[in-house]
Amino acid sequence: MVTTRDLEAHFEFECKACENGHCSKADVEKILAERKGLKDFYETFKEHIRECKRMTYGQYMFVIDREILPEAVLWWHNHPEFKETHLSTAVGTDERPLNGKFAFIPFLNVQVEPLNMDGNYWVFLKTYMPADDPSFPSVAAKLPAALWIEREVKDLLGFNPINHPDPRRLILPEDWPEGVYPLRKDMDYKHSPITEPKTEYRPTPKDTSLVPMGPVHAGVEEPAHFRLFVKGEEIVDVDYRGFYSHRGIEKTGEGRLTYNQILFLAERICGICGYQHSVSYAMAVERLADVEIPDRARYIRTLLLELERIHNHLLWVGIAAHLVGYDTGFMHAWRIREPVMWLVERLTGNRKQYGMNIVGGVRRDLLDYRKEEVLKVVRQIREDTKKFLDIALNTNTFIKRAEGVGILPYKVAKAYSVLGPTARASGRKIDARLDQATKTAMAYNEVDFKVPVYKEGDVLARVLVRMDELFESIWIVEQLIDQMPGGNIMVPIGDLPEYEEALGFTEAHRGEVVHYVMTGEKNKVYRWKVRAPTYNNLPAIPEMLKGYHVADAPIIIASIDPCYSCTERVQFVDIKTRKVKVLTEAEFNELSIKHKGVF
Amino acid sequence: MAEAPPYSEKLKSWDRFEAERFSRKAPITTPYPFIDIEKPPEYRGIPHINPEKCIGCGACANVCPPDALIMEWDKEHGVKRLTYNAARCIRCARCIEVCPTGAMEPTTRFEIATNNKEDLVEVVEHKLAYCEDCDEYLDFTERQIEYVRNILPREIFHLYALEDRIKLTQEEKMRRTVVKLRETEGNIYSTFILLNTREGGEE
Ligand code: SF4
Ligand code: SF4
Repeated sequence: MVTTRDLEAHFEFECKACENGHCSKADVEKILAERKGLKDFYETFKEHIRECKRMTYGQYMFVIDREILPEAVLWWHNHPEFKETHLSTAVGTDERPLNGKFAFIPFLNVQVEPLNMDGNYWVFLKTYMPADDPSFPSVAAKLPAALWIEREVKDLLGFNPINHPDPRRLILPEDWPEGVYPLRKDMDYKHSPITEPKTEYRPTPKDTSLVPMGPVHAGVEEPAHFRLFVKGEEIVDVDYRGFYSHRGIEKTGEGRLTYNQILFLAERICGICGYQHSVSYAMAVERLADVEIPDRARYIRTLLLELERIHNHLLWVGIAAHLVGYDTGFMHAWRIREPVMWLVERLTGNRKQYGMNIVGGVRRDLLDYRKEEVLKVVRQIREDTKKFLDIALNTNTFIKRAEGVGILPYKVAKAYSVLGPTARASGRKIDARLDQATKTAMAYNEVDFKVPVYKEGDVLARVLVRMDELFESIWIVEQLIDQMPGGNIMVPIGDLPEYEEALGFTEAHRGEVVHYVMTGEKNKVYRWKVRAPTYNNLPAIPEMLKGYHVADAPIIIASIDPCYSCTERVQFVDIKTRKVKVLTEAEFNELSIKHKGVF
Repeated sequence: MAEAPPYSEKLKSWDRFEAERFSRKAPITTPYPFIDIEKPPEYRGIPHINPEKCIGCGACANVCPPDALIMEWDKEHGVKRLTYNAARCIRCARCIEVCPTGAMEPTTRFEIATNNKEDLVEVVEHKLAYCEDCDEYLDFTERQIEYVRNILPREIFHLYALEDRIKLTQEEKMRRTVVKLRETEGNIYSTFILLNTREGGEE
């Protein structure tokens, strides 16, 4: 991977431990010195590191032995200096067509210093597993943040996390036959095994009764099944079964979609934070191809991201009000939100699913005569929201239901890698807009804003964090309009490099959205992994519910602003590259034989 | 008991920030669908294929993410069929961007609900070009050939002898190449030029 403009040095770096013999040209010392912490990690795990690589600006990969995977992850996650470092997510890939192995890569968001865009970075800890024994020691046994992702790779790829504390199915239904793994490359796209339906719930603990909540959430109107184990009114434990809206769109894209087509699918993962997904995906591909998008495109993207955040936060506060029985608040919040929808319809051509992105920039320019409208709308929203908050925060119905309810302590939030406003309400100082280098795809480095953090960790704190953020977003929008540079809005990116990996990320209004892209041949995508923020927040819900009343459950669940359809997306696009390659080569040969015959 | 003031009077005494708008008309909601709703000129509605302009090149079907546009060949009847299904369309407008002739037209239509699925489908059929030597239809349409004729400069036509060859099948073209080759006694350069002519036809 070649450098971006922000980094003076260097192409690939392969460390001395690698076996492939590229070592002489790489200046390991220099690259390891690029960011704080890399060197320490290298020194600690020297014997087990097989290869090191700088993927792109601010993204480093270590290929490590699978035996030390939990230690390596925990080394970062519990780093004594880098307090907010967390295990963001992981991806499993069937790389058998390439090298005969399976790969599992946990991603760590390393926070050298809170909100330091230039200092913080991503670490990929890649580990290879032989095809006949795809197992690795479970990280989840020691770190709850890895609970779901390990169940996911177990379901979809048949990996075996040894000593996983809760090895039930997560994504696939219980009646899916054993030994059929949809994301393996040899699984046929049309194969759809149907068997007897069955379910696998946790047994109700002794002396408790069961209150099922679901399979459709009452307030958020999406499928999710919570099983509350109660003693009287009090919730003692919770079981969760979701992934009812798992669509497995990966196979739809197999071999057919180009990288630009996937972009439009990505935007449709979520009906609320769709643009965040779209920007994340575009960013991942731009990082791979190492293109710099024009400044004007970065500004337009940021503007739309912030407008989306404004409407999302207003939408959420309306739902929260509705769930505590304060419907007046609900109506007002949504009334205030409407002008944003009206505005983006004029800026992008649609109320939602803006369709503005293309890999390499944006598709529509911001017309000058609409600039005034933007300012007018955000100004009006600021006024209206102030009045709304004035009323809502003085309404006892609302406050009594929110204050001191659903407390999530900082330690738990950290252990589960909780993200976004939910984490910031529990005192975590993270915000992917500032704490990671978003500057190649967005313009957050050029505007000024604060990241509100509260310590209480209850529902009220989550309301307040979001409302503070909303005002910050309005301020960002005003700055962006003011500073908007001229120039092009996109650059063509040409052919993608083959088998490169990179992450794209944005701070959605629920937390960081991460898209992982690995390219295949001929401008196709070999592996695409989406991690929506709710994926990290939802496993922490049982911790928030314990000890509260059944009546509080809906608002506590809604307080993380869950979005089931994006969490359950699992819209990996996996291209059967091998197959494609064989076909095209055969075609190619046929053609050349024909030509030779003519000659 | 003193008479309570009517509810509407009570409302007035509340300090409601939208009160003044309230007195004019119901401010927030509109009686849509009984009125027309304002659509901004920027609005991305469903696209529409203008059959007059479409040449059947299939560029739109290639970029369409959800397969709302499908290109089919019916070699027996010599037809190339472009089908647009509004029910699948996600209104991304990629097809409009790539259409070389402007046949994909943007509209601001969005109310496509119907009780007859066929209302959602647009079909444009094109006649395929016909190779008389082989008695067979080509992959591309007559209009595509017409279009290529119009955009390619005349010199190129002459250089590659396109006028005679453009309506031939691949095999026939090759056969002629061989004939030509025999004439030119293995002059590789001119053979090369002739082989390249395929590209022109497929544009
Ligand atoms: S607008 Fe998009 S989805 Fe609809 S037909 Fe065109 S390319 Fe396909
Ligand atoms: S791209 Fe335009 S000209 Fe080509 S088939 Fe589609 S509508 Fe017709």
